[in-house]
Amino acid sequence: MPGSVASLIWYLGTALELAFVVCSIARKSFLRYFFLNLYFLLAVGSSVGRHLILSSFGQSSDQYRYAYFYTDALLTLALYVALISLFSDVLGEFRFGKYVRLSAVLLLLGTAVFSYGVIAQSTERLSTKFAYELSQNLYFVGLVLTYLLWGTVVKLRETRARLVQFILALGLYFSAYAASYALVNLASKYAVINLMGPILGCLLPLSWTITIWRYSEEARLVPAQLVAVPR
Amino acid sequence: MSRKLGALTLVLGILVCSMGLKTALSNSHASGAVLVANGPDPLPTPPPPQKP
Repeated sequence: MPGSVASLIWYLGTALELAFVVCSIARKSFLRYFFLNLYFLLAVGSSVGRHLILSSFGQSSDQYRYAYFYTDALLTLALYVALISLFSDVLGEFRFGKYVRLSAVLLLLGTAVFSYGVIAQSTERLSTKFAYELSQNLYFVGLVLTYLLWGTVVKLRETRARLVQFILALGLYFSAYAASYALVNLASKYAVINLMGPILGCLLPLSWTITIWRYSEEARLVPAQLVAVPR
Repeated sequence: MSRKLGALTLVLGILVCSMGLKTALSNSHASGAVLVANGPDPLPTPPPPQKP
């Protein structure tokens, strides 16, 4: 079993994921942000499943490793769909919905083909390697897509507070996660550095929960003011 | 037709950027092994070395 601090972070993160779904229902926005809720529901489900397997077989067991990477691939796929739903929301008014869906499917297929190409020569179990590689590649696609989405928000002067906060939080989450691996490699001897990944895992549900609880659907803000340089 | 071509070009651009970013990060910081994951769940640890 992981240490007490790691377990505490795990339980806190799962509680925050559940809190987002509860707040979303309480604010009558469950269907409005269905794919975001679906992602967190799957995350809670996979946390429960992983906990059961970890308690039975241990953190270094093959069972936990397989369960972890298969569920992680599923979660990354769900996060990708949630990100595309945010794209659809932002571009919805411009009748680009059809092209967003087409591009999303093409991008997913392209990532899957690329991932298969990377592991095709592997002698290890192909499906496990594929799930792992697809999850990693889709994560980086999500990172680039989030920056593209933020550029679109600024360009189109999107003012819906919830959407803007969701996208900003997602960008911070992806960027901080990628940066934390640099830190892990620089100073892995410090235990706190190794806890950074799980701590950052709590960041997304926390910021999204605050957003959905604090802002109503009608709330507006102007992100363009944050980046505009007066001349 | 040109819009579909534009969408295809954008998709390829995003894919190239993403894989380039992943390669850059893995080569410069993680000794070729990058591991990113969702949520706060603890990562699986490598099994202990077996005694001969």
